[in-house]
Amino acid sequence: MAAAVADARYSRRRRTNFVATALSIGAAGFGLTWLLLILVVLVVKGVGGLNLAVFTEMTPPPGAAGGLLNPIVGSLILTALAVAFGTPLGILAGTYMAEYGRYSKLTMVVRFINDILLSAPSIVIGLFVYEIMVARMGHFSAWAGAVALAILVIPVVVRTTEDMLLLVPNTLREASTALGVPRWLVIRDVAYRAARAGITTGVLLAIARITGETAPLLFTALNNQFFSWNLNAPMASLPVVIFQFALSPYSEWQQLAWTGALLITAAVLGLSILARMLASKKVLP
Amino acid sequence: MSFAIQTDVKEQTPTPAEGLEEKVAVRHLNFYYGEYRALADNNVNLYKNKVTAFIGPSGCGKSTLLRILNRIYDLYPNQRADGEVLLDGENILRPSQDVNLLRAKVGMVFQKPTPFPMTIYENIAFGVRLYEKPSKADLDARVEDALRRGAIWDEVKDKLDASGLSLSGGQQQRLCIARTVAIRPEVILLDEPCSALDPISTAKIEELIDVLKRDYTIAIVTHNMQQAARTSDYTAFMYLGELVEFDNTTQMFTNPRMERTQDYITGRFG
Amino acid sequence: MDMALQSAPVQVRDDEQRANILRRFRIGDRTFNILTQASAIAVLVILAGVMLSLVIGSLPAWHAFGFDFFTSQSWNPVTEKFGALPAIYGTLLTSFIAMLIGVPVSLGIAIFLTEICPERFRRTIGTAIELLAGIPSIIYGIWGLFVFAPFFQAHLQPVLIDAFANIPILNQLFAGPPYGIGLLTAGLILAIMVLPFITSITREVFDTVPPVLKEAAYGIGCTRWEVMRRVVIPYARVGIVGGVMLGLGRALGETMAVTFVIGNAHRIVPSIMAPGTTISASIANEFTEATGDLYTASLIALGLILFFITFVVLAAARLMLMRIAMKAGV
Repeated sequence: MAAAVADARYSRRRRTNFVATALSIGAAGFGLTWLLLILVVLVVKGVGGLNLAVFTEMTPPPGAAGGLLNPIVGSLILTALAVAFGTPLGILAGTYMAEYGRYSKLTMVVRFINDILLSAPSIVIGLFVYEIMVARMGHFSAWAGAVALAILVIPVVVRTTEDMLLLVPNTLREASTALGVPRWLVIRDVAYRAARAGITTGVLLAIARITGETAPLLFTALNNQFFSWNLNAPMASLPVVIFQFALSPYSEWQQLAWTGALLITAAVLGLSILARMLASKKVLP
Repeated sequence: MSFAIQTDVKEQTPTPAEGLEEKVAVRHLNFYYGEYRALADNNVNLYKNKVTAFIGPSGCGKSTLLRILNRIYDLYPNQRADGEVLLDGENILRPSQDVNLLRAKVGMVFQKPTPFPMTIYENIAFGVRLYEKPSKADLDARVEDALRRGAIWDEVKDKLDASGLSLSGGQQQRLCIARTVAIRPEVILLDEPCSALDPISTAKIEELIDVLKRDYTIAIVTHNMQQAARTSDYTAFMYLGELVEFDNTTQMFTNPRMERTQDYITGRFG
Repeated sequence: MDMALQSAPVQVRDDEQRANILRRFRIGDRTFNILTQASAIAVLVILAGVMLSLVIGSLPAWHAFGFDFFTSQSWNPVTEKFGALPAIYGTLLTSFIAMLIGVPVSLGIAIFLTEICPERFRRTIGTAIELLAGIPSIIYGIWGLFVFAPFFQAHLQPVLIDAFANIPILNQLFAGPPYGIGLLTAGLILAIMVLPFITSITREVFDTVPPVLKEAAYGIGCTRWEVMRRVVIPYARVGIVGGVMLGLGRALGETMAVTFVIGNAHRIVPSIMAPGTTISASIANEFTEATGDLYTASLIALGLILFFITFVVLAAARLMLMRIAMKAGV
């Protein structure tokens, strides 16, 4: 009697397990299918418009053929500036948190605030930079766009720098302190060198993050139909051009939008993979 | 010499031996991790150009005491020392002591070999360049000298550009010793230098210590009593933060004065 | 054993040169200390700056509308009457839909990856999901507009409308006409977007569960599902909630994935398939065209509200994640 009840219970448990497993596999399939679908469509539609002109010609007026030269160059410039502004600040802040200020209250607060900035809506950052730069300067500019992107770069770099420096074993620091090396040289010549790969990974991840960001550029760097090096004027960028072209009714523009989207995705995936490869190389003893 | 084994907990201030110069003198040293007192009223001497071993069971404070001698505990908040540690007569615990200067005079080798993430040449040159601006030829000579003193020159002379991390454990540790002697300290502290190494590397380093003491004053912390007996001239036995007995090594191991020392050496507790 | 040592004794140092070098060291230390500390403080300054500029920029709107800003549905640039309710409603609704669908699926994927998936595929699929988490949101946006919305409009929406046509309340929520774009569409796109993000955090949290705990449960004969449900998920509960809230924070602030498919209508109707707007979509679509100080200030006021909401959600999430990190002894 007890055996029969036990059997019934057991088969019910097994059935529940089976259903749960099936649901779980289904969820994985479901999720992955949608994501793969997006990638496939992106590649198919993007490749269709991929040709040399994309890289050599400027964005065209409606109804004409053209390329994405100015937004590509613009994005590269904005990204380079954002990294130039944001990386040193981020590394220095992360250094404070892992070295001089490792046990201090300030570090705890900064870590908390930094994590919030990390996930803050990027459009709000755009509004902030608009208020302090664009409104003040009276015009849109690449500088403003770069600053907005820099504010997105900083939290990523701070986080990875702190994490990587914390991974450097204390015995290494003690060994160089024992030689009479002052703190700042211990950091510069020993800790940074040991954490070099990790910090570089952080910078790559930060670049990957800002590569597709549209919202913060919408009212800082704005957009520019023509090719321009002028940092004091609006500058074109791939995400903003995609935004404008995709929502338009012109088929040439829409095609360029898809191609641009493909280019951005390729860049982001490439950077992420590079960052992973770098991170997996063992550097620490 | 008294033959009766004393049962007091510990000795008072050690009597200075004949004809020996006190390089480092520790007087009434207490050490605290936060509120917890890890060292209680320690008194000991390191004699010039002699090897002094610190032995005792785990947690007795021997590494803690060693780390006070170059004030490396300063890196961490919540750790403090009071008492006196006299290096050539000057108290290094005083706030006005320049710690970088101190560490240039008192070098330390750690339990785990820690080559810097640089080439072998750079590992040595790094410390030298800190305080001096030698020419390339002088620097090369200093590096070679240090590597010879560390008993590793023959093994690395053809690969000075290789990473310090490419060496075996025993070689890395000898590299660390070479790095320490490169800046010409006067005292060398060894914190269980062989505990992570195989017996052959250990033997090499013990031979090395015997040569190094001609030029440097050496303190070695070890949990291996036989090693202490082999390598040192003087031995200090510590137990639970107290320095129980300090004597020359032969005397300590054949005829200790304190009962607790006797118990430890004969293995009654470990 | 190489014993050829130089016979030179320990060198006498030049005291003055040494003193100079030591002074350089001290100056270097102090400078570097100040530099790094200032950079750390700069992070705080940035956040304070963001909050401050939003408050100041939105003041005209608060002066003009006061608390009514939260309750009014009107959005009229001509008469200069603005209300945040449709935008707030849209933001909350799309995020809710995204979480409703995204969280269970993410949990399922995480369970699949940590327990069910064969060892050899685990890393590849896991890495694939993490890479997908990095795809910029604008990609989801255009995909949503050109691929998903038409498909939704042609095939799924009519089905939903018919299915609920005779059920009270639900037939109002799922009322036609099938636009394709709208609040529901935006919510679904958001769900796909937060999937990889929540999955990878949940996986990390599952990995903090000590293997001995799982072994003990398997050891008394628990099925895999029982181990997950009775041991792993309760242990990781706080971390999972923290991860979900991080995903929520992302969804709330998301702009580009939503702007393309939301329809940009500042009104609230019962049907969730109708066009609507979210805070970020409103700002993205209208800010550069906004004329007049009150229009601009109202948009900035929307931004302030969004910032406040996400700040609260993210702060709560971080606190929860800190707690589980402490529990795991990290």
